[in-house]
Amino acid sequence: MTSAPATSTDAAWILGQLQAGDSFYPTGSYAHSFGLEPLVQAGVVHDRATLREFIFLSALPALRHADLPLAAQAWRAFGEANWPRIGELCVLSSALKTAREARAASEQIGRQRAELLATLRADPLATDFLRRAAAENWPHSSAVSAALEGRVFGAPLGAVLAGIGYATLSSLVSAAMKILRLGQNASQSLLTEALAALPGHIAAAETTAFEDIGWFNPWLDIAAARHETADARMFIS
Amino acid sequence: MPEFSGHLSLRAAPRADGRTVLAAQAFRAPFHLGKPYWDAEARTLVAQIVNPTAGILAGDRLTSDIAVESGAALLVTTPSASRVFRMRGGAAACEQRFTVADGAWLEVLPEPLVPHHGCTYRQHTEVSIAAGGGLFFVDQLMPGRVAHGEAWAWDRLTLALEVRLGGDLILRERFDHNGAALRDLAALAGSGPAACFANAILIAPPSGHETAWRPALAALHGDGLWLGVSELRHGGHSVKIVAPDAVRLRRTLRDVRRILAGYFPRLACEVRKL
Repeated sequence: MTSAPATSTDAAWILGQLQAGDSFYPTGSYAHSFGLEPLVQAGVVHDRATLREFIFLSALPALRHADLPLAAQAWRAFGEANWPRIGELCVLSSALKTAREARAASEQIGRQRAELLATLRADPLATDFLRRAAAENWPHSSAVSAALEGRVFGAPLGAVLAGIGYATLSSLVSAAMKILRLGQNASQSLLTEALAALPGHIAAAETTAFEDIGWFNPWLDIAAARHETADARMFIS
Repeated sequence: MPEFSGHLSLRAAPRADGRTVLAAQAFRAPFHLGKPYWDAEARTLVAQIVNPTAGILAGDRLTSDIAVESGAALLVTTPSASRVFRMRGGAAACEQRFTVADGAWLEVLPEPLVPHHGCTYRQHTEVSIAAGGGLFFVDQLMPGRVAHGEAWAWDRLTLALEVRLGGDLILRERFDHNGAALRDLAALAGSGPAACFANAILIAPPSGHETAWRPALAALHGDGLWLGVSELRHGGHSVKIVAPDAVRLRRTLRDVRRILAGYFPRLACEVRKL
């Protein structure tokens, strides 16, 4: 560990990441449970122990094999202005989600993030991305937009992936508090445990090849598909 | 241990009278092709792909390339489950490519994959469908040799599927699990120690009947069976099934085909197994 002081450049990207990762930042993600609500309705997740299993058996592997490597590839592609690759990653992100509402959630959050970034920062990379996405009809992607944010803020790849991982896990636990009997301390201890496992997944995701991106949990996909026609629900997905 | 580098190539095309025939075929062990059968009612040719060896072994490299031309209809199936045997090192791989032209129909309905203790198997499937083509693609997976008390014991299983419609990637799935991880997921979901899976993709020009068949399929869900239907990016649907055992999975797939056949008549084709 070094004791080198943070530079103003560091402070700038850290603040950008903090703003974009704040629950106060209007991305719309609060409206989604990312598959948790249908699994609660199906009786699969019903307490802290089963939520923990879901996070470790499904949420973390999905991050490791899908969203994190997507974002890593996009972060590199934005750095090289490799627009064909960025278009491929947008399409791939959409194609990886077979459940319509899960796909729509990623697209809505991704669009909101990219448009907000362009509005708040007036950065040419963000505006160029939005222009190309509209012209080429690329589907938006929460992972690609998070990578775009990282590039605009000047954040290193590891920090971008950590931000995605944190946002995903904290959103999941936050949604769980609304639909399960789960207290704040129990939620935070579970989040802490999951975050401890995240660095290993981030390191693996950084080296995942484009053709190896993807992972699914059959039960989660089925539950998400059935959620589309559920009689009662709190979350969009 | 002997290793196979087998291949299969088929091209289905319509004859002048409208019947589908295999206009070209080539294969090498461990692939073998049974005599095709013409289902006159469903107007679909049924081709049985046979593996005359015991199953898939370490070092096997299997490639297949099946194309259906405009105006032709083909159902490809297998007579028995594909066993992936124990490997004391190495892995087996299978590359499959399916091409469906505008106005063509392809159904891929192999018997389940049965991964044995300690195997590593990678299957990569590419499907390319022209706009106006139709497809019903099914992959089935059993947890192992359940009757022998062996389940979830494989080392690594990667089943990758990419579907392009009119050149646009509409689906990529990677089922990438070791046996223990999938066993734990099955236990979490309460699907039991013998849970079996089917992953089906339906691509068809819009029929306007989705509001009729989707609820009928969804109604199969329950009593231990998981079934979900959702729309792909465009042009098709995903149907995923988890059944508590192989018998229930077979019965459910038969019901799915029966329901869909009311709207997609080629699916009335007699497989003569289900």
